Amino acid sequence: MNKLYIFLKYFFIVFWTIFVVAPFLWALTTSFKDFQSVNAGVTYIPWVDFEPNLEGWKVLIKSPAKGGVDIVEPYFNSLFVTCTASLISIILGTLSAYALSRYTFKAGFVKNNDITFFFISQRIMPPIVLSIPFFLFLSSIDLLDSLSGLIVVYIVLLMPIAVWIMVDFFNKVPKEIDETALIDGCNPYQAFLKVVLPNSIPGLIVAGMFCIIFGWIDFFFAFILTFTEVQLLPVKIVALNSSVTPWWSLSASALVSVAPLIIVAFIVERYLSKGNLSGAIK
Amino acid sequence: MDLVAKNLSYKPTDQYHLNDVSFNFKNGNLYTILGRTLSGKTTLLKTIAGLLTPDSGEIDFDGKDFLKTPVWERNVAMVYQQFINYPHLNVFENVAFPLKQRKMETNVINEKVTDALKSVGLSGYENRKIQELSGGQQQRVSLARSLVKNAKILLLDEPLVNLDYKLREQLREEFKNLFSKGLSDETILIYSTTDPRETMELNGEVIVLDEGKVLQVGPAKEIFENPNSLKVAEISNDPPMNIIDAEILESEVSFEGISISAPKHFNNINNKSFKIGLRSSDIILNEKGYEFEVELAEISGSETLLHLKKGNTKLIMSIEEVMNFKIHDKVKINFKIEKAYAFNSNGDLASSPFRSKNG
Amino acid sequence: MAIKINGHIKQKLYNPVLQMNFKHKYFFLFPGLFVLIGILIFPIIFVVRLSLSGWNSYNPGLDFIGLENYIRLFTDDPRFWESFFRLSFLSVTTVILQYVIGFALAHMVWKDIKFKRFFRVLFLIPMMTTPVIMTVIWRTFFHESLGPVNDILSNFGVSPKWLTDPVIAKFTVIIVEVWQWTPFMFLLLLAGLLSLPKEPFLAAAIDGASPVRKFIYVTFPLMAPISIGAIIIRLIEASKIMDTVYVLTSGGPGTSTETSSFYIFIKGLREFQMGYAASMSFTYLIIMIISLTIIAKVLTKLLLKE
Repeated sequence: MNKLYIFLKYFFIVFWTIFVVAPFLWALTTSFKDFQSVNAGVTYIPWVDFEPNLEGWKVLIKSPAKGGVDIVEPYFNSLFVTCTASLISIILGTLSAYALSRYTFKAGFVKNNDITFFFISQRIMPPIVLSIPFFLFLSSIDLLDSLSGLIVVYIVLLMPIAVWIMVDFFNKVPKEIDETALIDGCNPYQAFLKVVLPNSIPGLIVAGMFCIIFGWIDFFFAFILTFTEVQLLPVKIVALNSSVTPWWSLSASALVSVAPLIIVAFIVERYLSKGNLSGAIK
Repeated sequence: MDLVAKNLSYKPTDQYHLNDVSFNFKNGNLYTILGRTLSGKTTLLKTIAGLLTPDSGEIDFDGKDFLKTPVWERNVAMVYQQFINYPHLNVFENVAFPLKQRKMETNVINEKVTDALKSVGLSGYENRKIQELSGGQQQRVSLARSLVKNAKILLLDEPLVNLDYKLREQLREEFKNLFSKGLSDETILIYSTTDPRETMELNGEVIVLDEGKVLQVGPAKEIFENPNSLKVAEISNDPPMNIIDAEILESEVSFEGISISAPKHFNNINNKSFKIGLRSSDIILNEKGYEFEVELAEISGSETLLHLKKGNTKLIMSIEEVMNFKIHDKVKINFKIEKAYAFNSNGDLASSPFRSKNG
Repeated sequence: MAIKINGHIKQKLYNPVLQMNFKHKYFFLFPGLFVLIGILIFPIIFVVRLSLSGWNSYNPGLDFIGLENYIRLFTDDPRFWESFFRLSFLSVTTVILQYVIGFALAHMVWKDIKFKRFFRVLFLIPMMTTPVIMTVIWRTFFHESLGPVNDILSNFGVSPKWLTDPVIAKFTVIIVEVWQWTPFMFLLLLAGLLSLPKEPFLAAAIDGASPVRKFIYVTFPLMAPISIGAIIIRLIEASKIMDTVYVLTSGGPGTSTETSSFYIFIKGLREFQMGYAASMSFTYLIIMIISLTIIAKVLTKLLLKE
């Protein structure tokens, strides 16, 4: 029985590994193809099935005027918007999370858990519900197709994540530490900054990672709320998809776009193995 | 600089955590708050520290209204029962924290921290991380941090309860030394505990607390000798004092078919039926005594606790050696009746062997 | 501590009685809260107001037509309710698959196995990619004549119409979603497994429990709170499926993969029937909030009852 179990286990792992890697490998080979190799029949291995060609990759470097695909600007736009919105969300979200963890609020029948729920439930909001009014609203204050308009919208997306993770993290820092800081002469702000925050770095990192991930991958809001002035990376790639862009440049652009976040995978795994992520789970 | 409280009440749920508590603490004294778990000890300490605000009542320190002073401006220090230290700082930084907060000069800080660490026996540990220390050592760091700021009020909330037996004994000794000579006459020491033995050892002024109410106040010896009610007798004895329903008739005390001559201090008892309180150490084995049956034999350290039963009466007696008894064994015991207490049916003390109620 | 094991698994709730209460608490809470409410309040009110108007491309502007949109929605628009059921089907299926696979993967790389850390990183990677961009690749991957999947499968005589068959298209969407988001479950569950106390497992080992018994009686029950949390979180996210559908199938073929979000998108930002789209949005929002809240509460109660 045991041998069967082990065999199944490894079989499953191999299967899933292939499944995970498949699209990347396919995109990789495709990026080196040309018209013949794509349309005559399905080809896989370069030099065996087809002649590799650097056209797909060259296109990334060529300027748009010469038929190239410019992804540098969208890259930086995405980076800027994601990081700014994440930073604001984390700062505001952490402050609120601290209050919800340490203090009791009561306004009528609204209590702590309700307020926390209010924050977290923003994730339930389907983007479509907000996109129509935001579309009209941002255009009325001339923030459509702008970086700041997007940042404002992203805050709604990301602050709930920061609050969700940090409330749980703070709940695991003993309140007695805050109390001791107060007794030692800190007012509540100092207690937070000097004592609680330094002990919450793992939580902040986890919150930061999730905010950056969920901010970076957004497509919908960027799609609806920006056009030509500002382009975010996901939008750019999808735009390539619907035009007559050949598969090879498409694949090359796509690969280059997803490469960076893979670094995050390494960071996350390190924290996981160190046991620091367990604090994020409720 | 007295710490005076009047009628403190705190009722956050439907139970009182503090019920009309008043006290008057003076400088240079050690006060022990004795009470069972959930009796309001921690609440009281936190209220004095300023972490909790009472629903009603006043606290004044040195003539000033304490309730108007926020925690961080009160000059108090507190040691918790869970060893609380700042995890992200090392030992030195932990102890230096309150001083840095007061913006003292570095060399003054260094001097004070070194002294404090010395007085708790942790010299040389300055650069260690908190996580590397044992429980006892962590608690010493907490204590050092409390001492270093020369607070006027030092609060200790069952500080030894999470340490093992030997460590507890050792630290208790060190505490007593520290308290008697290390602290200035300006400090008020408040120590809370559930352990009656600890209370006796500390030998300070005791406040007995139960369900948020102050039951009795007095020196440790007084609480021990003259508990003013059944409740206090329960709280201040470990193992609990035996309470037996008895009757007195013509100078004979009788219960469970046993008749003993009443001790002199029972003369004042008016009611025919009352309750006898007898410590487990005041019951002895005696071949010519009364027969009881063993329900349970506990060996605790170097003493044996026998749970005995006869008819409707259950007793616990303590024997100062390790003896082997089995369940259902029969033993013969006698009572040191001259050490017995008498309580009225409403729980008040009627007569005590150390002092009769009327005189 | 948080979780006690007495045969029951309880979470010790924080005792609010001994909590501090300073005026400073407002400074901590309000910035985030007010910013959030501030950004949200106008759009929400606007959606409601818009839903009561007949704004469309012929007739732009905020007139007032009362509940006409809602009446039309509830009586004359089966397409909306169909999209709803499709959404439920897709999200529930993907979440269940992600949970089962994610748990299996997490369990396998939990203890010592060759190349443990390599596999952990590998299994995390899909979640770190931008879904839309990967979907662009998937489109070429599942291309019915020029894509590798059908090329390989044609050797077995099958050539499924991944993107053009109404039924199969749903499964293509599911496959892509599972690829993309199983790592998220995997991450939460692995973190959970790594945080479990060792004692119950030692006890099970002493009792000589087989791996299967160990899983059923120790691992799975201990993971219950985390499982439920992960499922709720993933369900909330999955209910917003939009990117994949947009790129992979554009809701097609026909409307076979059209989810509620997509349908609203078409009506609002393609056909510009803004008023009607707003009423759909608002209804959709209310339904999602109510159903997800109920599901979350039911699952949590189930957990606490055990």
